[in-house]
Amino acid sequence: MAQTVNAPTLPPPPLSAGALGWARENLFGSRLSGALTLVSAAAIAVGLWFSLAWIFFSADWEVIVKLGGRFVIGQYNAETSCPGQNCFWRPQAGLLMATALLGVFWAITASVSVKRAAFAVALTSAAFAFLPYSLNEMGWDVRLLLLANVPALGAGWAIGRHTPLNTPSRAIIASVGAFLLTLLLLRGGFLGLEPVVVEKWGGLMLNILLALTGIVFSFPLGVGLALGRRSNLPVLKLLCVFFIEVMRGMPLITLLFMSQVLVPLAFPENFPLNSVTRAAIVIILFSAAYMAENVRGGLQSLHPGQAQASRALGLAAWQTTLFISLPQAIRNVIPALANQFIALFKDTSLVYIIAMLDIVQIGRAFIQGNTEYLLHARELFIFIAVVFWVFTYAMSYFSKRLETHLGVGQR
Amino acid sequence: MTTAPEETPASDDIIVFKDVHKWFGSFHVLRGITTSVRRGEKVVIMGPSGSGKSTFIRAVNRLEEHQRGQIFVDGVEMTNDVRHIDAIRRDVGMVFQSFNLFPHLSVINNITLAPIKVRKLPRREAEQAARALLERVGIPEQAEKYPAELSGGQQQRVAIARALAMQPNVMLFDEPTSALDPEMIREVLDVMRELARSGMTMMIVTHEIGFAREAADRVIFMDEGTIVEEGPPKEFFINPKEERTKLFLHQILTH
Repeated sequence: MAQTVNAPTLPPPPLSAGALGWARENLFGSRLSGALTLVSAAAIAVGLWFSLAWIFFSADWEVIVKLGGRFVIGQYNAETSCPGQNCFWRPQAGLLMATALLGVFWAITASVSVKRAAFAVALTSAAFAFLPYSLNEMGWDVRLLLLANVPALGAGWAIGRHTPLNTPSRAIIASVGAFLLTLLLLRGGFLGLEPVVVEKWGGLMLNILLALTGIVFSFPLGVGLALGRRSNLPVLKLLCVFFIEVMRGMPLITLLFMSQVLVPLAFPENFPLNSVTRAAIVIILFSAAYMAENVRGGLQSLHPGQAQASRALGLAAWQTTLFISLPQAIRNVIPALANQFIALFKDTSLVYIIAMLDIVQIGRAFIQGNTEYLLHARELFIFIAVVFWVFTYAMSYFSKRLETHLGVGQR
Repeated sequence: MTTAPEETPASDDIIVFKDVHKWFGSFHVLRGITTSVRRGEKVVIMGPSGSGKSTFIRAVNRLEEHQRGQIFVDGVEMTNDVRHIDAIRRDVGMVFQSFNLFPHLSVINNITLAPIKVRKLPRREAEQAARALLERVGIPEQAEKYPAELSGGQQQRVAIARALAMQPNVMLFDEPTSALDPEMIREVLDVMRELARSGMTMMIVTHEIGFAREAADRVIFMDEGTIVEEGPPKEFFINPKEERTKLFLHQILTH
């Protein structure tokens, strides 16, 4: 018989019956799955047991305490680099500016993830002020500057809220300015500041500086190369293809080596760029080649109708590229870009080839100089690995948040 | 009123095609198209797929370059001169089969982008105009959404509003309803009918016979890159002269 009344709207059936039901369905759904669950659980239990036992009972973490702030700034404040050892405040000033700028971005974007990043940086820095060192090992001045990151965050937020520094483009310009100012400060040699040669920069600071320079400069360069490779001008196209293929065809370590050995051989008379700048340039060029291919992939994924619609509206070719093609292309390749930036961050430790003491090499040099810790090198390198992981995971997390924010794959 | 003779002064004809040819590689798509469109005229172009009708209207704003013959829009010849092309494109709106809205921009930004960047309109004015246009196409409440959050019919109406925001003299429609579900075709055609009544010059590639009958001043039937027959819709649909036209109409009317 035909239905004469409207069928009632029913709630969907419950999906699972609590934790037990979930386990039965997902972990022990079949015999094979049950067996696999048991085997994996056993493996995890054994692994955890030995790891925890080692971390809490066998390992001696004193080596990290002894290494102290050097893992962050290397020999930057050593007597040989900065006579009088009063240069520590310069990297700290850079950190304070970074924290304040995070506060500015937090106020401007009102984004939860930026807020989290800002608090993570400010609170981690401040927490270092409470490390149980004697005042000889870590003075009040160092501790106060670390603590100052908390008010710096607040100040940055207030600036972003109440001053003209309240648009993303202005904040980006301010960031570039702060970055260059930090480089100048670290270098010194003006206003009575003791010069600290770049060869003495080191530690995590060096990794971060090289990675930031690499990311900031290789991005526009890579976009330019990608556009050049798709250009209709044969010479420009050929040059871009040649550059990209040559850079991609060589390992980064070879390029770094060449920049240190071959370039000074070719130009023996006072080559104007120091070894760190050369390394930074090599990292930028290398990264730009990969960036170009990622962006090109993004450009090729676009429907030709997008550019046609834009041109049909009267937008010029460059406007179409800037407002229509690039924003979509870059948005589509965020996962690949995050991948590349993570790789770039890790690759910065290759500067050992030019005798720079980045965070890894600082650890190695410390063990070599303090042989009583030779048996505890493991703890030190595990710690350094964790530091790397924190940074790469943060990059991964923010790229994921950015994807969600921009609606990748949604619209 | 009589049919316009060939020597009509150019001022009355907003679009003029003179013996236009176009090849895709060795494939001869347009084989000597000669016709003109008067100001305010609504021309519907029909024909089987592959007949060159899309290429024909895309040649008007040079999304397709012709290789022989001449095209004049508003008295300006379409050549490789970029300034001419950009000037023409500003005054010729286009609506595509696949909407081609910009997915990374909200509806309001889709509409205001070109007025702000090309016409240099202040943002406030551009947004006011955009909201008025959304009102006109019947979806004022969708301004802040992104294209992917709209139905196909709504997207196509936004695309029409986007083209109208540049205040064009001519609107080109390239199969505007072919990608839509049947119940959405009507809402788009309603907007187009309203536009036709407002006196806009329109060139429309479509298979919607009802719309052509009611809104068109002239129907052009194309096959294999040539104009086979053209005339007022009454004559065209009821009393076609050419065998190929009869066959085509028979096929689409009895499908």
